Amino acid sequence: MARQQGWFALILALAIAAAAVLSSFPLQLGLDLRGGSQLTLEVQPAGEITTIGAEQMEAVKAVLDRRVNGLGVAESTLQTVGDDQLVLQLPGVTDPTRAADVLGSTALLEFKAQKEGTQEEVQSLRQLRGQLQSVLATRSDDDASELDPVEQDELARRQKELGLDGTATTETEQLEQLLARTNQEILDRFEPTAFTGKQLVSAGRQQQQNGSGWEVTLNFNAEGGEKFAELTQSIAGTGRLLGIALDGELISEASVGPQYKAAGISGGTASISGNFTAEDARDLEVQLRGGSLPLPVEILEVRTIGPSLGAENVRRSLIAALSGLVLVGIFMLLIYRLAGAVAVMALSLYALFNLAVYALIPVTLTLPGIAGFILSIGMAVDANVLIFERIKDELRRGNTLIRSIETGFSQAFSSIVDGHLTTLISCAALFFLGTGLVKGFAATLGIGVLLSLFTALTCTRTLLRFLMSYQGLRRPTNFLPARQLPTTAS
Amino acid sequence: MAFTSPATDERPLRFPLTSRRRQVWLVSAVCLLLSLIGIVLSWTDPQIGLPLRPGLDFTGGTQIQLERSCSDTCDQLSTVAVESELQQIKLPVQDGKALPKLDNARVQLLDGGQSIVVRMPALSAGQGQAVIEALETVAGPFEPGGQSVDTIGPSLGGQLLRSSLISLLVAFTGIALYITVRYDPRYAFLALVALAHDIVIVCGVFAWLGLTTGLEVDSLFAVALLTIAGYSVNDTVVVFDRIRERQRMDGDLPLSVQVDRAVSATLTRTIYTSGTTLLPLVALILFGGSTLYWFAIALALGVIVGSWSSIALAPSLLSIWPSRSGAAASA
Repeated sequence: MARQQGWFALILALAIAAAAVLSSFPLQLGLDLRGGSQLTLEVQPAGEITTIGAEQMEAVKAVLDRRVNGLGVAESTLQTVGDDQLVLQLPGVTDPTRAADVLGSTALLEFKAQKEGTQEEVQSLRQLRGQLQSVLATRSDDDASELDPVEQDELARRQKELGLDGTATTETEQLEQLLARTNQEILDRFEPTAFTGKQLVSAGRQQQQNGSGWEVTLNFNAEGGEKFAELTQSIAGTGRLLGIALDGELISEASVGPQYKAAGISGGTASISGNFTAEDARDLEVQLRGGSLPLPVEILEVRTIGPSLGAENVRRSLIAALSGLVLVGIFMLLIYRLAGAVAVMALSLYALFNLAVYALIPVTLTLPGIAGFILSIGMAVDANVLIFERIKDELRRGNTLIRSIETGFSQAFSSIVDGHLTTLISCAALFFLGTGLVKGFAATLGIGVLLSLFTALTCTRTLLRFLMSYQGLRRPTNFLPARQLPTTAS
Repeated sequence: MAFTSPATDERPLRFPLTSRRRQVWLVSAVCLLLSLIGIVLSWTDPQIGLPLRPGLDFTGGTQIQLERSCSDTCDQLSTVAVESELQQIKLPVQDGKALPKLDNARVQLLDGGQSIVVRMPALSAGQGQAVIEALETVAGPFEPGGQSVDTIGPSLGGQLLRSSLISLLVAFTGIALYITVRYDPRYAFLALVALAHDIVIVCGVFAWLGLTTGLEVDSLFAVALLTIAGYSVNDTVVVFDRIRERQRMDGDLPLSVQVDRAVSATLTRTIYTSGTTLLPLVALILFGGSTLYWFAIALALGVIVGSWSSIALAPSLLSIWPSRSGAAASA
């Protein structure tokens, strides 16, 4: 009895925990349910690289991550799938044209030289950029904290200077706008050179010799080495900067010391130093290494679904799932009476646990995922049916109710476990070897099967035993019609 | 309280399976034959050339679905008008690749002309938008947020097929090993026979549908087949579990009697379980909308065929296959 109360308390605690999880973690809906665009990209082997390895994937993904962030879509995700594919999800975007253009293009890493006579302008612009970046870094998205009046004046003055009207809605947006304009202004003061990222062979990073920070190292091919020497010679000692631009956006500006006035930086290698932390250096290294997509990518698949069509999918599958559950519940009540009521409770718990697990892991719910869930309900019901049929068999043989229930559970045990485990084997195979749709389906079905094993063997049993502790309910006719009972039954 | 031996108080057999096994085999054989004929016809059909008519997911291409915004009735729209509009579209050039031809685009009107489905060779995202804008002139205005655009490269479908087949093979091997360890190799073999029977019949029905109504199978159909595989084995294992239990209890009786008793004992359960699994599927068919309609039908078919193979086909085959121990005489 004490053990049974322990189980009862555990189930109650789990139910409360599941409800709490559901109220604090929202369910994640896939794009087919919330609307948006999904692009599948494949990295193509090119030149000397005939097979795509993890290293190449990382380099490509680093570049694409930057471009995706540039798109400014909230909650966009870019994931590596399989050996050579990437899946980009853009919730809420129904016209993926821009995304497809931006991702598909093999953008360029460029080295630019600062135009003559712009030293002062660039100096002040860079200063402004530094201020803006530090102000923005301390603000969170929903931060309503106002700039103090001095800063506001400063902001307005700068906006006017750079030809902005300051109409953006929030201060943060105004600051961001100003930062973008500042960056553009800086970029305009650089001119293209003959040296591009194509001549860059590799990039690395190392700790500076005096140990104060990190520097990023560059290696060029023979042609690049010459051009880089020419380029650096032309700007050495003039105070002009060497700009490194990625997809038309400056990622770094470096000065070239006067000691290179004579011959430029020669030897095919160079290093960029600038009080980098290890992390900064790594970011720059990755950007340089993969600045212009190291390998071409091809867009394999574009799926777009409008938000109202997605909402319609949600509505329809909800109706289907709920009406399916209700029908099953009615069926169980009609056939198994009291035990049917227990099954309905156990199945409600089952649905609750499932949703909580989806929210917790989290499992992104897609249409096939919902189908997997609906199917797993079938398995969960099967477990209950197996148990109750055994109990009925025992009652028909004239066994007492309590004894029949115990025997029913123990006899149904092996077939429930075998049935569930074989399904679980398929789920595991589908999950680890399948792709996309199949994975989502296998995930919800697998979770469902595991939970079904738990609810059938503990929840149903505990609830049934709990009810049997009431004398009034302990009648075989609560389980099956009286005419099916043997006359010898007690 | 009366203690009675389970062997003597068996209720009368409700389903004398082993004496009817020839009929069972006939039914299954006819179904299998019809299915195989459908699959072969589809395979040899010059227009299809594959066992099942492949959909966009496998062939590649672009499908655009648009929902027209019209309150009660939409103006009449003919597919011809849409097709002629499509031929006049000037598509933007993408990466210097040859422009896809829209001459043999297929136009379909759904829901009494409320929504349009157009299928074309693979378009880039920009070209897809150009098509939507052009169609707006003949069929617009469109419901904002009600459109879906799918573009799939042909290699992706092959990949899906490959990964599904591999995972299915691994799953089969795993299940066969599990049943061999827990039961015996005969059971594993027969469970896989029942499984193959179910899959072939569902494929056969869809091959016939493809031949007669032009229905195409998509990636959800592949998911449905995988599900049927899992369900079918689960169903069969429960019956086998009962046969094994019978063998322990009535080891001295002929195998056919043991099989009959086990099948009768699990008959109610199998029918109830199939029924309760069918209920949510029927709800999906009725309310799930067009996306899940054929998926739910494939699953429902699989559940029905799967129950048949677990109740009738697999046990009847087992009843003519004496176990290695030789203790039970065959019927």
